[in-house]
Amino acid sequence: MRSRKLYWTSILMALTAMAVLTVAPGTVAAAGKPEKVTVVYGGSSWIGHYPVWVGIEKGLFKKRGLGVLFQSFYASSGRMGSLVAGDLDVACTGSISAIALMAAGNKGFMAFGTPDSYATVEGVIAREKIKRLEDLKGKKLAVPFASSAHVLVLDLLEQIRLDPEKDLTLVNLQVNEMPAAMASGEIDACAAWTPNFNMLLKMPGNHLLADDTQFSLYKKYQLGPGPDLLVVRKEFAEKYPNTSRLFVEGYFEAVDMLINQPKESAEVLVKLTNLSMEDQMAVQKDIKWIRGAEQKALMLQPGQFVKGMQLLAEFLVKHKQIDAAPAVKDWIAADMVP
Amino acid sequence: MNTKNSSNLALISIVSLVFFLAAWEIYCRMGFIEPLFMPAPSKILSRAIKMLNNWSLLGHTLASTRRVMVGFIVSSLVAIPFGIFLGSSRFFMAVFDPFISLLRPLPSMSWIPLSLLWLGITETQKYSIVFMGSFVPSLLYIIEATKNIDPLLIRAARNLGASEVDVMREVILPGALPQIIAGLKVMLGIAWTCVISAELVAAREGLGFMIMNGKEYFQTDTVLLGMVMISVTVMITDLVFRKFEKRLLPWTL
Repeated sequence: MRSRKLYWTSILMALTAMAVLTVAPGTVAAAGKPEKVTVVYGGSSWIGHYPVWVGIEKGLFKKRGLGVLFQSFYASSGRMGSLVAGDLDVACTGSISAIALMAAGNKGFMAFGTPDSYATVEGVIAREKIKRLEDLKGKKLAVPFASSAHVLVLDLLEQIRLDPEKDLTLVNLQVNEMPAAMASGEIDACAAWTPNFNMLLKMPGNHLLADDTQFSLYKKYQLGPGPDLLVVRKEFAEKYPNTSRLFVEGYFEAVDMLINQPKESAEVLVKLTNLSMEDQMAVQKDIKWIRGAEQKALMLQPGQFVKGMQLLAEFLVKHKQIDAAPAVKDWIAADMVP
Repeated sequence: MNTKNSSNLALISIVSLVFFLAAWEIYCRMGFIEPLFMPAPSKILSRAIKMLNNWSLLGHTLASTRRVMVGFIVSSLVAIPFGIFLGSSRFFMAVFDPFISLLRPLPSMSWIPLSLLWLGITETQKYSIVFMGSFVPSLLYIIEATKNIDPLLIRAARNLGASEVDVMREVILPGALPQIIAGLKVMLGIAWTCVISAELVAAREGLGFMIMNGKEYFQTDTVLLGMVMISVTVMITDLVFRKFEKRLLPWTL
């Protein structure tokens, strides 16, 4: 009798223990408690980083128990290098750098979304005397090499059959150095992105010659020369799935806020961009934000954005910027796509 | 015996280099290190062959060499007479000393913003970065070399009736030249570090540009190839310099 009682007690205890062991982690997961409370994010004043800035300023990450450390990088390459070196956890990057890193065979990062679509905040700005792209022949056009603006310029020149090596002089210049170079007359035109793009357009005598809407892949697939890509360090995503998920939630709540409350968002963004409120609102008007609910269609099924990225990789190979096109779909973190 | 020793030492150097390259290659091939962080020597070699075939490697090397040589030669042409002059005149040394002390610690990179404003996006701007990076250190070498001339020799020449020009030509210049040449050899290496700074801004060719562009596209093999090319080019120019030194100063060798 006693042994029977002991038998059933043991069974009950074992079942209870099993239930605790199996249910407990699930309960934590359901509660969504972050395993790591600080996320190190790689950003800059570029539009792709607006959601994180808004999320930090409006407490959208904080309410999920996350602290986000915003680290500024001047170029996407530096940001991506730091990400795969383990210094950053999450970043938004221009896809040229991401594709270049994929082409180098690095598997240390994954992509999980694209926050925006922009076509009118990057382009070629010229001095008054240059009316059409064809007028660039024999002129000096400044562009930061290895950037989305560089890809745009190579494509535009190809469309009008100008040889970048022979027909004009491409000057490798960073966007922040362009206003001074345009003002001094050392260059005749430049390819830049916001916020310098807006500053250059405001300078007397400057006008817009072409923007991303004239990029050949944009005409066919609505894809700019360097669309923004959200990336995560693979090890971080695997080790801290809840933290990653909560970050994505906070990020896309910030995207919703940028869509629904543009003025409130602009008020906090001017601290990041140093633009006037008026200019900040104008920049935001030109951006099409992509909500979390739209991400699956772009990144997974049917994955139109990823297909576009693949075409961009092939474009880079054609223009001898990378050696071989990587299979972009192999770098998509399906679990993290909202 | 001496020749045999030299051959042995050269053999040891070659074996050491081959061993190092073989270990590096094996380490990379066994997957201990990701190619992004350190590509194998064979990858760097294949990148070199590819860039030699389309002439781009030669183009980058020649562009940087031209910038280094123009900046360095102009800085030497100014620094040699000016340094000898300052080294032989305590009064003028006192006049210029504060300015030299102010300019001495400035790295070549710090001249980039001003050079862009003054000279624009031109080749002259790049020469000026090499010039500013190598001028003051060259000047200091030359001043020291001039100061190190035994004053007894100068006094003896004057007592024998030599004019100031004769003293300069017959005593100071031949006496200081070996040290000046030694200093310039060091400066040539430093001029190469300046050209990398010069090619960070508004360059579309040159080894500095090649390294920075390779970095942008995560082509670490291109970055390392650029670094190797700088070392090889400095070694070649050093050999040329030694030949020149041998002809100019036969009594020192």
